Amino acid sequence: MFPTRLLRSSTVNANEIAHFSRLSAEWWNERGEFTFLHKMNPVRMQFIREKLIETAYDEQPEEAVDAKKVEVLAGLDVLDVGCGGGLLSESLARLGARTTGIDASESNIAIAQHHASLDPRLGSNLTYKHAPAESLLLQSKRYDVVCSMEVLEHVDNPAMFLKTCAELLKPSGHLFLSTISRTPLSYFLTIFMAEKVLRQVSSGTHTYSKYIKPSELLEFFQSYSSHMPSSAEEQRARNDSRPWITRLYNGEPTRREAEIRGMIYNPLSASWILAPRGAWGAAECNYLFWIRKPDLDML
Amino acid sequence: MLLLYAKGCRLLSKSFRNASLNGPPRRFLSTVHEDYDVVIVGGGPAGLALASALGSREELQNTLKIALVEAGDLSKVRDWSPPTDTFSNRVVSLTNASQAFLKDIGSWDHVEQQRTAPVEEMQVWDGISDARITFSTSELGFSTADHSGMARLTETLNLQRALLRHLKSIPTVQIIDQNKVQSIAVDEKPGSWPTVHLNTGRALKTRLLIGADGPNSPVRSFAKIPSYGWSYDTQAIVCTMEHPPKGSFLGPNTTAYQRFLPTGPIAFLPISATVSSLVWSTKPALSTALKVCDPSVLARMINAAFRLPDVSIRYLHDRILEAHEAGKPMTDEEINAEIIWREKSHSIDATSAYSSIAPDVSSKARVPPSDAEMVPPIVTSIQAGTIASFPLRYNHTETYIGEGSGSRTVLVGDAAHTIHPLAGQGLNLGLGDVECLARCITEAVLRGGDIGSYTVLLPYTQERYIENHKIMSACDKLHKIYSTSSGPLVQLRSVGLEVLNELDSIKVAIMMSAGSVSQTNDKHLSYNGDIRAMMFNIAAKGVENINTAAQVAQIIRGGLGGLAVNAIQNLAKATSSYQQPRKDVS
Repeated sequence: MFPTRLLRSSTVNANEIAHFSRLSAEWWNERGEFTFLHKMNPVRMQFIREKLIETAYDEQPEEAVDAKKVEVLAGLDVLDVGCGGGLLSESLARLGARTTGIDASESNIAIAQHHASLDPRLGSNLTYKHAPAESLLLQSKRYDVVCSMEVLEHVDNPAMFLKTCAELLKPSGHLFLSTISRTPLSYFLTIFMAEKVLRQVSSGTHTYSKYIKPSELLEFFQSYSSHMPSSAEEQRARNDSRPWITRLYNGEPTRREAEIRGMIYNPLSASWILAPRGAWGAAECNYLFWIRKPDLDML
Repeated sequence: MLLLYAKGCRLLSKSFRNASLNGPPRRFLSTVHEDYDVVIVGGGPAGLALASALGSREELQNTLKIALVEAGDLSKVRDWSPPTDTFSNRVVSLTNASQAFLKDIGSWDHVEQQRTAPVEEMQVWDGISDARITFSTSELGFSTADHSGMARLTETLNLQRALLRHLKSIPTVQIIDQNKVQSIAVDEKPGSWPTVHLNTGRALKTRLLIGADGPNSPVRSFAKIPSYGWSYDTQAIVCTMEHPPKGSFLGPNTTAYQRFLPTGPIAFLPISATVSSLVWSTKPALSTALKVCDPSVLARMINAAFRLPDVSIRYLHDRILEAHEAGKPMTDEEINAEIIWREKSHSIDATSAYSSIAPDVSSKARVPPSDAEMVPPIVTSIQAGTIASFPLRYNHTETYIGEGSGSRTVLVGDAAHTIHPLAGQGLNLGLGDVECLARCITEAVLRGGDIGSYTVLLPYTQERYIENHKIMSACDKLHKIYSTSSGPLVQLRSVGLEVLNELDSIKVAIMMSAGSVSQTNDKHLSYNGDIRAMMFNIAAKGVENINTAAQVAQIIRGGLGGLAVNAIQNLAKATSSYQQPRKDVS
């Protein structure tokens, strides 16, 4: 489906893809292998929704924002990188987004397409593609929102992967990530407990060394500046001088540039909660990350 | 790619092999189906309230396509307009939490307020020992200024009509009445939506199927949700009672009375100054016999059941059953003579409130007897055609959400749980379900969730199951304790020890479900939000109870001596001596 040359140079890890392809039939079993993801999905969506409403309030007059609107993503092009069985993609499409879900596993895409076909209300605004993120760079289409949930910890070259996601965004577009931090706690919960003791997740799902700390993401975007392939030379020069995160305050980015929010699993209610902003120690294991691509006009 | 895909599907379909329900797959005349997001089966109060709740949410207005299916003709309910002084026999008690919910969704304005009455005080007492607790609105921490009471009584029809009138203004909810559910089926294709086939040939395919279809829920059997429970060997007699207004020296008719007789509790629920509703749980044989008699016999028996000592009530019941078996139902004169004779033998003074002889209504200025507030007003007649009875059951499903081939199904109200009516909580539990489910659905829609999915519905069953179970088991336990008439339990009960504990647990059950009154409109409505505050109250009361217990111990010591002399006489005495200390606490 895409040139082999790209596959080789991509961030896709062949072993990881084989692992998830084996599990693909399980994607929509809400009480099986992926039950944690099913329960995490509302929290991710809550974060996306709140963040978009928050930025709308920042940029528009108060009365122009309808916080109760269901379709907060209406009219936006949204890309879900590593969509798996389409858990997040379907939710994005229901909020009105023109959604494209991509995954490096062919069987995942097949499952996602099949599942979407069961819901007559998921219309033409949801499409799936079997492709690695890098292949989309060849096209000119860019997105308002790029999401990549629980993917970063499975890719081979995270820096290149982040760059790809960043480049797929339109100026002032939103990048949403969720992943696992590299801490003793995360090893204990996501590998020791989840895979080895409780066996709620297949062994081999996670690799500790691939986990990424929030501080590493912040560091990456402090030195990362957008590369605008089609813009004028002058524009590019100005743009390059402005990293996505300009400065940190006590290790935290400013609210309008980026945000890190912990996700905490409550085993008693068997549900995830979105930790409040700045909650101490909340991002020690699972966390959500949001960053905004700088707008050309703002520079 | 195709191969992998097919393999995946094969794996998935394993658990759905027996996906067609109700036997082998059927062929239906209608092959064209309509798509809905929500189909509610059942046009009772719970189903209608859910439709109103979902329909009134601003957020859901353009998102959800909702249908409500009902076998009966709902236009009859919508156009129900009874004369002002006659009332239907089915009355519900709406807690403040239920009222706040109905106000929140905008249905309360459609409830005809003249046909509702607040409960400002409750008198609950034991049929054998006459140990009594009284609780009033102010004691439960509610404001007394607006006379809203601890609960509000109204006819089920008044509530149903209000919900239907509200739904008239909600175009997103389609009401399909006079349509019976013929069958519910689901494709063998895994993850597909259930289709509801109606007897008129329509087929509704839905993302989420909600069973609000009562105790014998067809939706529950479709989803194969197991239910456990038992019958109580008890019938509840209901009717609308007429009585003179309370005299000028007494408060308004806003006190509910309940006496726990060994055969079951009898409750007197005020709905207007001169009309009250009866819910009398008793043995099926007696219920059958009473229904055959002249309505005036029932009226006299109701008066006696609130007044005479248990020995005499048992005697009267036996007389009615004997006469019924002999094929000659008791007449009004016969039962009246019996009651007067029993009253005399218990030395009940004719001027006392415990006497069933109707007081002279014309002289309003008459000073009422000092114990007038202890018993309900004398029932003078029963509104024609209001006497009915139904069997009582305890039922609770194992879960409220269907799984496997029955997924995308959820149960609310009586379809999920039926309860003994002794605390009047059945509908309130149902409305609690509705509030929670509507909240889960709204939240899921805002987050792009699939409202038929297990993940979305799980919080609903998690929140409501325990909440319902607490109140259901409290009521069940109460019924069982009070319907035993032998063994040490009765001895304990008869001296008031057990009663003190158990009557308190009714109080807690009512308090738990009473909910908050201080609801601001924007505040997130919660049925269990104020329980913590309530618990602190109860803990504080515990300290008080130590004091009460000491007082009761004294009374019992005194009482036991008396019992040896004359058991019956002593019970009458105990009435007054128990009341005093209890009143101090309450």
